[in-house]
Parts: sequence; structure tokens; C-alpha cells
Amino acid sequence: MSLHLEIVTPQGKAYESPVDQVILPTKQGEVGLLPGHLPLLTQVDAGELRVLHGGKTEYLAVSAGFAQVMQDKISVLTESAIDVAQIEPAVVERAMAKAEAKLKEAVDMEPEELERLETMVRYHQAQLLVKQKKR
Amino acid sequence: MSSSTRDIRRRIKSVKNTKQITKAMEMVAASKMKKAQNEALSGSEYSALLSAMLAAIEDKVEGKFVHPFLQSREVKTRGVLVLSSDKGLCGPLNGNLFKKISEIKTEAEYYVVGRKGAQFLSRTRRNLVADFSLGDKVAYNPVRQISQLLIERFIEGKIDTIEILYPRFVNTLLQEATVYTLLPLLDLKNILSEVTGRKVGGKVVGARKLPQEERDMIFEPTPAEVLSELLPRYIHNQVYQFVLEAKASEHSARMVAMKAASDNASSLLDDLTLQYNKARQAAITQEILEISAAALSN
Repeated sequence: MSLHLEIVTPQGKAYESPVDQVILPTKQGEVGLLPGHLPLLTQVDAGELRVLHGGKTEYLAVSAGFAQVMQDKISVLTESAIDVAQIEPAVVERAMAKAEAKLKEAVDMEPEELERLETMVRYHQAQLLVKQKKR
Repeated sequence: MSSSTRDIRRRIKSVKNTKQITKAMEMVAASKMKKAQNEALSGSEYSALLSAMLAAIEDKVEGKFVHPFLQSREVKTRGVLVLSSDKGLCGPLNGNLFKKISEIKTEAEYYVVGRKGAQFLSRTRRNLVADFSLGDKVAYNPVRQISQLLIERFIEGKIDTIEILYPRFVNTLLQEATVYTLLPLLDLKNILSEVTGRKVGGKVVGARKLPQEERDMIFEPTPAEVLSELLPRYIHNQVYQFVLEAKASEHSARMVAMKAASDNASSLLDDLTLQYNKARQAAITQEILEISAAALSN
């Protein structure tokens, strides 16, 4: 029995592969998923998703979303996901600085714009954290 | 050579130039249409999974769940999102949308994507609340801002429906101005049973069968909480899909319009060439006549 993980974003499937174990960041904390898990639908928090396969661990940064576990098939629905190996800390830091600067000057900004920027900062932070931990 | 042949030649030249331009625009529109369709396809997995999740929860809560999105209320002000194009030269695409707008007689707030729609709405002095501009390449995040604004206005009670007026992609030759009511979601269950796949360019893609599972599903934290988070996402994604479809429609309408223009230019060229040759031959005949007449009289 093996698990199958897919990460689906509006831009298409970001990840699809058979895996041994998945550690998922949820709103209630991290959840480890093994084959034979009960059917589950849970909210995913922005953070690090770990994939264990063949003795190796892969790290993926995901933004907030949902995960569904059904018959050993894990489907993660999120707005963006990125393989940590592809993260360039400098680029992320720059993007974060830009977003934070915008947040600071945003005194009378529309709330939806504010919310969007905050989400951006959180997502970038998650990316950085994951990357730093790996090194 | 006489002045009439020169005039015809000049016209032939200008028609040729125009034809080259329309031909180029036709090809650009064709490749952009293909791209827009592919983008709509790549998002279909996401839509399908989202619908599958919604369907799973919907079964669980079954009517016990109360959410502003799912309740019908008295419609005082309609919220209409118009998806128009930035540029013209795309046949009757925008005109058809405007005709639909003119049919709306009740109180409404308008939100618009694209310059053409904004121009029309401000010229006809309608209640235009927000004017968004998206480029040719549509990303998810900018569209999300639009739907976020709509959702907030809906929850605040400023608008009582969210309707989308967009050119529906029937096929490459035909786009139909259509109004789709997104909120309130009165018949979620029915919609979900249909929406497990989405039609793009005539074929259903990304259909996803719900896996059968005899064990009960666990929802964390609770079904109601998950559902109230999923619903806005569903709306965001729907709006995104509609924007993509409107883009595909725009490009295919432009392609068709430009093809018609190129064809017209070709037939005009044929006529003009014939006319030119006739005029040329007449001039030559005239000259020979003059020379031989002169020779005879000598």
C-alpha cells in the first residue's frame, strides 16, 4: 500500500507522485499521514509540507488551503506551492521587503488589499523559514 | 500613364498594407486564444477538486448549515461584474455585452474589467463602482482581489447578488453575452453535481468522480468551519475561470473579425487589380490608336 500525493493550484498540478508519508501543516498543528488513514478533510495552514519517500525527505512550501485524504490519495488544494529547492532566499527576501514596505505606508488602504499583502508576507515567511531550516 | 491607373495603384497598395496588418492580428489572436484556452484547462483540476470537496461537505451538513452565501434575500441592488475587453477590433463582442447591460433596468452596482466596458458604463452614467484592468496574461491573484471586493460588498449588504456578465465561449465562431448568477448559491447541490467538470472549448475537462468510501469522513476543525472557508474560495475560483473564458472569447472574436477583414481585403484587391488591368489595357489601346491614326494621316 502506498500513498499518492497531489498538490493542485489554479495554475495546474504543482506536484504529483507516490509517497510513503506526508507531514501536513494544518490549522491544528502538524499532521502526519500514513497509508490507511481515515478519510479526512482539513484546513491547511501556510507552511512547510514534508514528503517522505524512499528514505528521502522533500520539502515543499504551501500557502493556506485544504487537504483531502481519500483511499490513500491525498489531494492538497492550495493557491500556491513551491519546491523548496527552487526557493531563492534573496528573491524571497526582496519580495517580502517590498510587501512589508507597502504594508507600512498603507494607512488608509482597502482592507482586501491589506489582507492580500499580509497573506503574501506570511507565504514568503513560510518559504524562508523552510529554506533556512534545510540549510 | 493616365492618372486613373495611378489612383488605382495607390488604392491597391493601401489595401495590401491593411491586409497585412489584419492578417498579422488574426494570427496573433489565434495564438493568444490557444494560450487562453490552455490556461483555462490548467485551472480545471483545481475547480474539480474544489467542487469535490464542497460536495463531500455538503452531504455532511445537509441544510443544517447557515451561511450568507446560501441564503436568498430580497434583491434591492444587483451587483454585476462585466467582463469586457481592453481593445476593440473584436467584432460584436463588446456590443453584445452592452446590449445586455441596457436590458438591466433595476437598481444595480457595476464592476468592470476592461477599458471598453468602463467607457460604456461611464458614458451611459451607470453606477460604476470599480474598474479593474487585467493584462493579456491573467494571473490568479489580481482576479482574486476583484472577487474579494465583490464578496465583501455582498456580505456588507451593499449588493444582494453577484452576477457575472461575460461573453460565453460557445465555439470559436460564436460567443454569447451571458449573465450568470454566482451568489446567492441557492442550489449548491445541483450546481455541484454538474460542475465536477468544466466545459472548455466545447469539451468537458477535469471531470472528477468522487471516490467511494464507506468510512465516514472526518472534518477538521468542524464541517461548518471548513465549509465557510471553502465557499469564498469557490467564488474566487469561479470568477477566475470566468475571466479566463472571457479572455478566450475575446481572442477568438478578434481572430474571426480579423479573418473577415483579411478576406474582404483579398476580394477588394482582386476587384481593384482587374480594374487596374482594364484601365492599363484601355490606355495602351488608346495609345496604339493614336499612333496608327497619326501614321495614316501622314
